[in-house]
Amino acid sequence: MATDALRAQVAAKWQESFSRLNQNEAGIVGLLNFSQAWNIARECMRPRGLDEPDPQTQYDKATFQASFELLNKCRRLPILLETFLDDMRNHFPVIKQEVDQYTLEYQNTLDTTHILNLVFRLLQWYNKWIPRQELGTTLQSAFVLSFQTHMFSILSPAFVRGFQALCASTLPPTDPDAIAPEPNVKMWEAFETLGLLDRYENIIASVGYEHIEAHVIATCSGQWSESMLPELRKWMTDKVVPWMLLMYGRNATTADDAKAMLQNVGSRFDFHMAKTLCDLRTKEIFDIIIDFPDSSGALQDLKECLLRVDQRAALVHTLRKANHKRLLHPGADTRLILSQYVATIKCLRIVDPPGVLLFKVADPIRRYLRERPDTIRCIVSNLVGDDDGGDSLVDESEPIQPLQQSELEDYTDPNWEPEPVDAGPDFRANKPSDVISTLVSIYDSKDLFVKELQVLLAQRLLAITDDNAEKVEKERRNIEILKIRFGEAALQVCEVMLKDMTDSKRIDGHVQSQKTSIIHPTIISKHFWPMLEATEIVMPGQFRALQEEYAKEFSTFKPDKKLRWLPHLGTVHLELHLEDRTIETDVPPLEAAFIELFSEQDVWSMDDLIAKVGSSVDKAAALKALLTWVDMGILKEEGENTFKLLEVAETSTPREARTVSNAAMELPSAPSVQQQQAEQMRVYWKFIEGMLKNLGSLSIDRIQAMLKLAPGYDQTVEQLGIFMEAARQEDLVDVYDGLWKLTPK
Amino acid sequence: MKVEIKNWHAVAQWRWDTGVSEANGMDDDEGDVCGICRVPYEGCCPACKIPGDDCPLIWGECTHVFHMHCLLKWIGTTASKQQCPMDRRTWGQSVPIFSSNTLSSFCSYC
Ligand SMILES: [Zn+2]
Ligand SMILES: [Zn+2]
Ligand SMILES: [Zn+2]
Repeated sequence: MATDALRAQVAAKWQESFSRLNQNEAGIVGLLNFSQAWNIARECMRPRGLDEPDPQTQYDKATFQASFELLNKCRRLPILLETFLDDMRNHFPVIKQEVDQYTLEYQNTLDTTHILNLVFRLLQWYNKWIPRQELGTTLQSAFVLSFQTHMFSILSPAFVRGFQALCASTLPPTDPDAIAPEPNVKMWEAFETLGLLDRYENIIASVGYEHIEAHVIATCSGQWSESMLPELRKWMTDKVVPWMLLMYGRNATTADDAKAMLQNVGSRFDFHMAKTLCDLRTKEIFDIIIDFPDSSGALQDLKECLLRVDQRAALVHTLRKANHKRLLHPGADTRLILSQYVATIKCLRIVDPPGVLLFKVADPIRRYLRERPDTIRCIVSNLVGDDDGGDSLVDESEPIQPLQQSELEDYTDPNWEPEPVDAGPDFRANKPSDVISTLVSIYDSKDLFVKELQVLLAQRLLAITDDNAEKVEKERRNIEILKIRFGEAALQVCEVMLKDMTDSKRIDGHVQSQKTSIIHPTIISKHFWPMLEATEIVMPGQFRALQEEYAKEFSTFKPDKKLRWLPHLGTVHLELHLEDRTIETDVPPLEAAFIELFSEQDVWSMDDLIAKVGSSVDKAAALKALLTWVDMGILKEEGENTFKLLEVAETSTPREARTVSNAAMELPSAPSVQQQQAEQMRVYWKFIEGMLKNLGSLSIDRIQAMLKLAPGYDQTVEQLGIFMEAARQEDLVDVYDGLWKLTPK
Repeated sequence: MKVEIKNWHAVAQWRWDTGVSEANGMDDDEGDVCGICRVPYEGCCPACKIPGDDCPLIWGECTHVFHMHCLLKWIGTTASKQQCPMDRRTWGQSVPIFSSNTLSSFCSYC
């Protein structure tokens, strides 16, 4: 129950409020005035329909202002504002209906005109409702805030997508010849007024970024010969900056002003351009390296981009991954790996002269190459220009210099510089810089290279048959160059080999002048030539006579020396006079020895033949030699391991027989010829078995390359393939992914 | 059938004729080494780089054979007492059965 005191208190409060509203006028005159002013103000600030007349047409300015002053005096303006904002909220469903309508139309047609129209429609509402300026900024900003809050609450994600598309439609066209659309200034102003620019700044920027990305990808993908950056920067200035001005330079009054405003955002866009190009080149890096030196423009760009964008780790990661997938696998030829490695060295030196990137990328390649058995051979062949068909790894222009071994850092060096920040602990800045030194440094010691060089040189020198001065000279020049790289001492042995060549020629000249002979030996120094696997062959008949005669003449000339023949080496040029034909051919010594025996006797068993030439010849080699003559139609196999001379050619002439066998080779279904082929190959089975046992699995090309080192091997890789397939059917080998290996027993 | 050899490109090694006949062993690949430097005769002594006439052998009366340069170096030391290092017999050079180039390279070496 209310007390008297309380009652009095309420009465006093009421009186106070009443007096304020009544403005101390007599009776309720003041109150009536207030009520009138309130009504006028409410009417002025009512959210109106778009087709309703503006309040100015109803009340003159003086009445209007007087009403507001009265309300202000009575401290009723906040209540008025609140009421106004409430009214606005109640009217927003009308706007929402329109927004949904326009958005739906956009969704159905994807025509951004609907979004543009919606924006203008919203602007109309905004302008209709915004309180008059003379009412003060407080009122206006309260309105703007409230309007935008309601507006953004009804804009759906579909609208945002449409808005993004609308912005994108204002971009300069990618086609350089197309005319850029006339900038729609009204639209950008509407965006600004409605607060869309601030609200959707990120979306608009992403439109710009995506545009840049699309342009970079479209113009730069696979374009590696020229540097693309200057062209891209020009495009940014000509096309993208004017577009950016519409948005970011909107409040700028002068060009300088605009420039300053653009600086910050412009550098963000330039960064994005550099990053996009950097990403693209990083993705393409493996093929860029393959294309080098035709791709030097791309490498220059990459270098510049990497200075701006920190993508070095990504580049290393991508290239290592690509190398792992596309290069360092058993199917890749060692020569290919080497030339890609050399190209990688050259390319990454352009991109990153200190060599940190190269160091990180090279490591797995080097480790992989070290595991390959033919790496040294490949490098050495390339060094001596023996690489059939392959490009030289070394540029002609690169100076020939001694091998550089990596050294420890010399901190007393006045030119010493700290290592780059992303250099790992193993990184050495002053490691070998020329290509050959880098390749040789794959291995701990250069001795392996020197040994391989000797083997290669021996093979090449012994293959020189005809008048040889020029070829020996060529090898000598090669060795001179290699001496600069590997050092005089390391190649001393090669020097002796070359001297043996010229000495042989001189000795032969002398011996021939005493007594002409058709045998022209290369006389080698025993411990200075690589081990040449020896098969003792006792040459029969006239061959032996030739050897003995020559050896005697040699010892007359050099009384303290004697000759020891290495009869399995060399070649014999023969002419066979048969009853109905004459055949001229070059054959290895064992073949020559056998055919000589057939000139004494028409039919031989293989065992007897072997006994005649010394029993160290194995059956496989003997069979192979005999099959050479069978192939030529001079011998014929009669029964098991017995051969007969065909003094008169058989009805199917050798030429035809050969054609048949060649043709049949392409048709592996013809069993008899295939069997014969396989028989020849069987001779080499032990080689193949040996290499698979020692080296694990090998590709057919590798097997072929290694078989070529076996004496007298002359099968094509296709023939080898047929044989390997036959061996697989016999369950001796297995093939997986192009690699052959022995079937585990 | 007549086999006519038109041309034969053969390969041979030269060996010093140390008087050891091939009959002693079909294969002398294990080879004889100089008793002083342990390098095969057909190699060259530690002072040389080119084998053969440039680094010849020397035959003693005792039938021991050395690289000439090795022996001369040995004989030059007082410890040698002019004896063969293998059997300590006074070194005497066997009659030079071979051409003069042995001696001429001896001179050029000195
Ligand atoms: Zn010696
Ligand atoms: Zn010597
Ligand atoms: Zn002695």
